[in-house]
Amino acid sequence: MKLRTLRVDRIACDGHGLCADLLPERIRLDEWGYPIIDPAPVGGEVAAHARRAVAACPKLALRLERVG
Amino acid sequence: MEAATAVRREHAAPPAGVPRLLAGVRAHGGRMSFREHTRWYGDPAVGLSARGLIHEVDQAGLRGRGGGAFSTGRKLAAVASARSRPVVVVNGMEGEPGSGKDRHLLAVAPHLVLDGAELAAAELGASRLIVAVRRDAVDAVRSLSRALAERGKGWFGLDPVEVAEGPPRYVGGEETALVHWLAGGPIRPLGVPPRPFERGVSGKPTLVLNVETAAHLAQIARYGAGWFRSVGPAHAPGTALVTIAGAVGRRGIAEVGLGASLEAVVRASEPRSEPAMLLAGGCFGGWLPWSAAAALTCDPDALRLAGAGLGAGILVVAPEQTCVLAETARIAAYLAREGAGQCGPCTHGVRAVAGDLQVLCSPQANGLVTDRLRRRISVVEGRGACGLPDGLVRLVSSALERFPDHVAAHERGHLCRQSAVVPLPPARALSDADWR
Repeated sequence: MKLRTLRVDRIACDGHGLCADLLPERIRLDEWGYPIIDPAPVGGEVAAHARRAVAACPKLALRLERVG
Repeated sequence: MEAATAVRREHAAPPAGVPRLLAGVRAHGGRMSFREHTRWYGDPAVGLSARGLIHEVDQAGLRGRGGGAFSTGRKLAAVASARSRPVVVVNGMEGEPGSGKDRHLLAVAPHLVLDGAELAAAELGASRLIVAVRRDAVDAVRSLSRALAERGKGWFGLDPVEVAEGPPRYVGGEETALVHWLAGGPIRPLGVPPRPFERGVSGKPTLVLNVETAAHLAQIARYGAGWFRSVGPAHAPGTALVTIAGAVGRRGIAEVGLGASLEAVVRASEPRSEPAMLLAGGCFGGWLPWSAAAALTCDPDALRLAGAGLGAGILVVAPEQTCVLAETARIAAYLAREGAGQCGPCTHGVRAVAGDLQVLCSPQANGLVTDRLRRRISVVEGRGACGLPDGLVRLVSSALERFPDHVAAHERGHLCRQSAVVPLPPARALSDADWR
């Protein structure tokens, strides 16, 4: 199985916060509304939610990247 | 080979100790013209081993002097292995406030820097060689243009060396920011990857060499890896230029052997009173109580382990009455102004951290402010496209961890007197034009 992890493009991200709504298991927001992302690989049930969060980002700043 | 040896004898012998980069300059009492330089050093390619520059630099163990201390040999090899012809950029943007060593080197020994740059460019078959320098470093700019006129076409028949005069921003020396600006953009960092050695100027693999690093490279080519390693510890050999500031009689640039006692280096700059603490590494370094600093050496790894750094060689000597929190607050406010404004957590976080530090220096200080500050630095760490927030985290942590009694005194309402030891440019709001 390919391991993937969530990664945010800090320059592109402007803190809409949709990702934290869609993936609270892995993403929370800091006091300014920017995502703090759990670096653990995304797998199993979470993977589908993670893909939805990636697709929902209005700035295309969130990505699922292969580990390694 | 015999002829080469005979030619070499007419020139100065390799410096046996310290200084190295500044040995010729010292002997000449100032800037070395091209004639003086070639009489001192000879043709830069003489003495280069048959195995080539990259091998020699790798064997020498040279690490970048711009602050990152990354292996120059590995950087060269990475660019050399790329498929297309690379670009070589000499980075004289020297963004760290108070640092003046690259500017000084360009002002007094421009040909040593250009030798190193041209050697690297020739070895890599580079299509362009660009020297980027802060446009406010007038002495360096003038010396550089004079040097290029003195050299004519240069040693290796490259196209003319290009000079780029860049805006004096704190992040301007960050590789991706510099590459971005050279491509016509604002001097703001880009998200990575790709790194410049993969895709840099005009999409070409780009070797970015700090000014001082280029000068060391020229001396390695001439005198060899064994000579280079004869000063300094095995993991960080050679000498380094440091800029000494603060409460000392002799501020300015010094060349020190890596591994030298930090205490000896500071004492040689004639402190006006017994130092109380040292900021080692500038804005992305850390504070050390003098007792701890005096036991350490000029070693980038050891200083990093101690929670500070060597960075680009900035050492600020602070006397007894200095307030570490007020100084840190000043630096944080400076970094908040100089932030590129691209990454949310940095833009908001650095400002918030600067605000907390300011409160800690006011009658409103209490333990809750320190708690909030600690929480915030842990949140900000690692969340920028460049290292600016991480540098501030290290700096603030060093102040909190190394001076707990002082922090506690502030929390109880102790107010320090005004403190302004760290050299920082005057506060000024930046406009878009300041990034171009």
